[in-house]
Amino acid sequence: MRFVTGELTGLAPVISTAGLTKHYGAVHALTDLTVEVGAGVTGLVGANGAGKSTLIKILLGLLEPTGGHARVLGHDIEEASEDIRRLVGYMPEHDCLPPDVSASDFVVHMARMSGLGASAARERAADVLRHVGLDEERYRPMGGYSTGMKQRAKLAQALAHDPRLVFLDEPTNGLDPAARNDMLRLVERIGGEFGIAVLVTSHLLGELEQVSDHVIVLDGGHLLRSSATGDFIEHTGSLLVEVVGTETERDLLGEALAKRGLTCRPRGAMVAIDPPPTELAHEGAAFDLIRDVAAELGLGLMRLQPDRRHLEDVFLDGGAAHV
Amino acid sequence: MSDVPQSRPGVIHDLGYRRYDGLREGTATIARTLFITGLRHAYGLGRSGKSKVMPFLLLAMSVLPALIVVGVVVLTGMSSLPISYADYTNQTQLLVSLFAAAQAPVLFSRDLRHRSIVLYLARPLSAPLFALMRWLSLAVALWFFMAVPTLLLFVGAMLSGLDKSDQVTQLLKAVALQTLLALLVAGITGLISSVSLRRGFAVVGSVMALIVLTGVVTAIQAIAADQDADAVSVAAGLFSPWSLYTGLANAWDAGVETFVPVDGAWVLAYALVALLLVAGCLLGLVARFQKVGSR
Ligand SMILES: Nc1ncnc2c1ncn2[C@@H]1O[C@H](COP(=O)(O)OP(=O)(O)O)[C@@H](O)[C@H]1O
Ligand SMILES: [Mg+2]
Repeated sequence: MRFVTGELTGLAPVISTAGLTKHYGAVHALTDLTVEVGAGVTGLVGANGAGKSTLIKILLGLLEPTGGHARVLGHDIEEASEDIRRLVGYMPEHDCLPPDVSASDFVVHMARMSGLGASAARERAADVLRHVGLDEERYRPMGGYSTGMKQRAKLAQALAHDPRLVFLDEPTNGLDPAARNDMLRLVERIGGEFGIAVLVTSHLLGELEQVSDHVIVLDGGHLLRSSATGDFIEHTGSLLVEVVGTETERDLLGEALAKRGLTCRPRGAMVAIDPPPTELAHEGAAFDLIRDVAAELGLGLMRLQPDRRHLEDVFLDGGAAHV
Repeated sequence: MSDVPQSRPGVIHDLGYRRYDGLREGTATIARTLFITGLRHAYGLGRSGKSKVMPFLLLAMSVLPALIVVGVVVLTGMSSLPISYADYTNQTQLLVSLFAAAQAPVLFSRDLRHRSIVLYLARPLSAPLFALMRWLSLAVALWFFMAVPTLLLFVGAMLSGLDKSDQVTQLLKAVALQTLLALLVAGITGLISSVSLRRGFAVVGSVMALIVLTGVVTAIQAIAADQDADAVSVAAGLFSPWSLYTGLANAWDAGVETFVPVDGAWVLAYALVALLLVAGCLLGLVARFQKVGSR
């Protein structure tokens, strides 16, 4: 296929793997991985050495798997690697920018290397550099960039050819908290507003939950779990609730919820609720109950959200099972 | 494949993300773009001002003697060129070697040192095609470097009214030999530059392989010929790209003298070694790019 004008994937998964395995001699980087990734943002989470980068490189055709199969955007990785590489973008984890070239020139060149003509490449480069937030700096050699600017330039080249899927390998690595937050917002926009499927990795376990629709957890090359971000919360997660008012209102709500069968404890200005018991575990039941109780008490709900720390808990619990 | 624009949720407002639904070129066009960019970069075009100094200085130095020869031939009306086309390249071999040593790192070290190779290999071009295009860029840049003075000499020969068919025959032989030499030298310096990523080491390595090695081979050839060990003298010529070039030029009557004439089965050996060397360098380059690209 030479000319691609963007087909719909329909409901087919963006990525699917079956028994994917990569061994480097005695090092088992990836073992029997079977997962599916859909549209939107998918977080790929795991400690350093879990096999995240290895998986991405196999899907790109940069590495050959020792076993198993995978399809990306409907193409088999072994038979149609070139077709895949036309349709995906890749932001590697390590430095990959020549220091003596400006981001503008570099992104134009990389867009051309993905098959765009000279003028289309210039137009796209200007667009994506604006989206990632590189302004005047784009005309300066990249060697003088801060880590944050380099990450933006790396992201821009991954988006230059308007891919259908991007692999972002540790895009927040080395960033300070503010830049990290900006990057996460960008990732969220790419998967949502831009309509490009995203597979984004992080070794920080809680970080991606805020921006991902789906999370895959790897541990030592094994799949620990793969589920919608919401499912993590339903199955295992605790909830955080905050109501308008002071500690008095907080405790009022906590006591009322405890009477209805939820285990509550105060945390700061909020009430932390343990994973709901089985009779309240079905979808949305705990949420409904909290909303109703607050309404009965005439309390204004300020926030009702999953406890951000729980992804780490999932990892630790699951990880222990493998040891 | 449909041309109908797909609506994507959330892409409504002006400053929002714009999709690209235009043409995407095939592999051949992408490869050609890479080749042309590489060719320009070998001469510093599209790069910083100071990257142009070295290649154009060397080119000027290799053209200057040809200009003098042309002036003399035209003014004095000589009946032949004082130097053959193929031998001119041989006589300016130091400049050709320096050009290759200095410019190969531009095409073969940078992408690997800065790891931008990963970004190329995550795109449609495969590692073998990428290596091939880089090699062609340098080879054509080198060929051009040798062809400019050659063509100048030819123009001079025509201006002074030398026999056209003789000159064209000699010219075509020289161009064919230069092409082989360019492929050979581009392969050797490219491979060296892709392994030693520090520019300084790459240049020194290429100088060793092209200039020092050729000096050693020439010395052995001269001594062997002097001792009447003709076979040794011819065999030694198999070990450097320049002696392969002069040997083949001698065998083909292209106007280059060697210590001992290259003839018989030796011609085949020279041609075979040259081709194997080119193939070996290419395989090495592909392996190297693939390895670094997967890291
Ligand atoms: N080229 C290689 N040779 C040997 N082992 C490797 C190689 N690349 C990665 N590994 C090993 O494979 C495992 C997974 O690595 P990687 O995919 O980079 O993990 P992550 O990206 O999750 O940090 C690690 O144990 C790593 O040491
Ligand atoms: Mg990694």
